[in-house]
Amino acid sequence: MSESLRQLQHAFMDYLNTGETASFQPHVIAQGRITVDTRLAIYRNAYRIRLTETIETDHEVLGLYLGDDLFDQMTRGYIQQHPSTVPSLRDFCDALPTFLAQKMPFSEHPILADIAAFERRLLNAFDAPDAQRLGFSDLQQLPVPDWPRCQLRFHPSVQIYSCQSNAVEAWQSIKAEQTPTAPDYSATRHWLLWRGDTRLTEFISLAPFQHELLMGFIQGRNFAEQCELMMQFFDVEQAPQQVLSALQAWFEMGLIAKLQT
Amino acid sequence: MVNDQLTLDFLGFGLGLRTAHFEHVLQHQPLVDWFEVLSENFMVAGGKPKYYLHAIAEQYPLVMHGVSMSIGGTDPLNMDYLKALKKLANEVQPKWISDHLCWTSVHGQNSHDLLPLPYTQDTINHVAARVGQVQDFLGRRILLENVSSYLSYHDSTMDEWDFLNALAEQADCLILLDINNIYVSARNHGFDPLEYLSKINPKRVQQFHLAGHSDYGDYVIDTHDQDVVEPVWQLYQQALQRFGLVSTMIERDGNIPEFPALQQELQQAAMLAAKQFPHLSTRTLDAMALAQGQAV
Ligand SMILES: [Fe+2]
Repeated sequence: MSESLRQLQHAFMDYLNTGETASFQPHVIAQGRITVDTRLAIYRNAYRIRLTETIETDHEVLGLYLGDDLFDQMTRGYIQQHPSTVPSLRDFCDALPTFLAQKMPFSEHPILADIAAFERRLLNAFDAPDAQRLGFSDLQQLPVPDWPRCQLRFHPSVQIYSCQSNAVEAWQSIKAEQTPTAPDYSATRHWLLWRGDTRLTEFISLAPFQHELLMGFIQGRNFAEQCELMMQFFDVEQAPQQVLSALQAWFEMGLIAKLQT
Repeated sequence: MVNDQLTLDFLGFGLGLRTAHFEHVLQHQPLVDWFEVLSENFMVAGGKPKYYLHAIAEQYPLVMHGVSMSIGGTDPLNMDYLKALKKLANEVQPKWISDHLCWTSVHGQNSHDLLPLPYTQDTINHVAARVGQVQDFLGRRILLENVSSYLSYHDSTMDEWDFLNALAEQADCLILLDINNIYVSARNHGFDPLEYLSKINPKRVQQFHLAGHSDYGDYVIDTHDQDVVEPVWQLYQQALQRFGLVSTMIERDGNIPEFPALQQELQQAAMLAAKQFPHLSTRTLDAMALAQGQAV
């Protein structure tokens, strides 16, 4: 491999990241009416614009929540701290929630990291792998003796998102062009995200028992264990009925990819 | 007689397949000869983009165009990327696969840009070896495209066209000649675009790109967000004269108009070609005949 080529590329990339021209400029020829500085700046501007646009596109609502000045401050800080190491810009903002949770002044408002994390989940649901979806009738056809041992496998787009703020409610308000209510950190909220049959990304809030139930099935518990678990929330007669009606809804939403007995 | 033709037959006139037009293309099945898809856009696991890609692949010839092979890079070739590329190619069966004669990343850091190489024999040796690896892995020749550039290196010992030609020869790959990029770089570096055209070996040119750019007077930036400008149309006609009928597509990545507007621009390309090749027959030209028929 050509060592001088590697050095040249290092100098170029360092310049893109830092804006320091000293080591790269000597490689570049001065020609015509365009100064070397301008020639370099064309590349650095393009680099920064590309990354900024990625953040704007993937985190549109966060941008509106922050307003222009804070959003600029965030993008500059993030780009500086996280030179892209991902092959695809799709993944460039993966560390944004952590950045917001750690970096002042953003870390003073935990809802910001939560909004960013929720937007990452939306993206995951959007382009997760495809898979078949079962209907409720598939479950009904299962022989009754197999029910207690039955486990569920979920569609790959299914995501559970839990946060300690009203981030998703704020996200919804902004999306509907309404002013979000003040940040509220009084309770844990659970959300279910998935991509339905229409290939639209959808989400709903989960009651505590629904969250427990979903998590239980995702972790591989079977029907019998799940009914047991639901005793925390319901009495003996109610529990199986609650499990069954939750299940029926999940099948209708297209969440279930497979039954395992 | 031995058939020494390297390139595939003329495929007609194509457009870039963009998200905004998925639904239009599927519903109206516009008379366009083929589509070029950005490989990276479909290297996701599933969802809407994949659904449209497969549906459209059933109706149109596709070619795959990538931006992140970093064939001129000095990091090892990204085998995960190449595997994903090959998998996608198995899914959509593209007529061909292209990327750019440039580098995009070094030391694991990605510029997400098409950065210029120094034009030296050393670089040619380096890149040709990597092209060989890629072509062996994919089991086919790839096309490499000339990029727009805004700076030149002291290291360079030859002109861009000699570099491109020699590389294609040594690597035994094909050329995607971007007519707009030639124009943009000619303006930025002060060379004669006709000299560029005249030095490229026609045997290896399998595709043309056309696109719009942003003109800042002293320099020009390859933005793909405007219509093709007159000087690029002229250069395209000169390219047709030199290279004959070469599959042509128009790239539009920003400020994307409604599909029919792009189709009209593509018809302009087809008309220019039809002037030089009177017996030309393609779906793109059929669309024009239909439109005129309706107007009567
Ligand atoms: Fe191009």
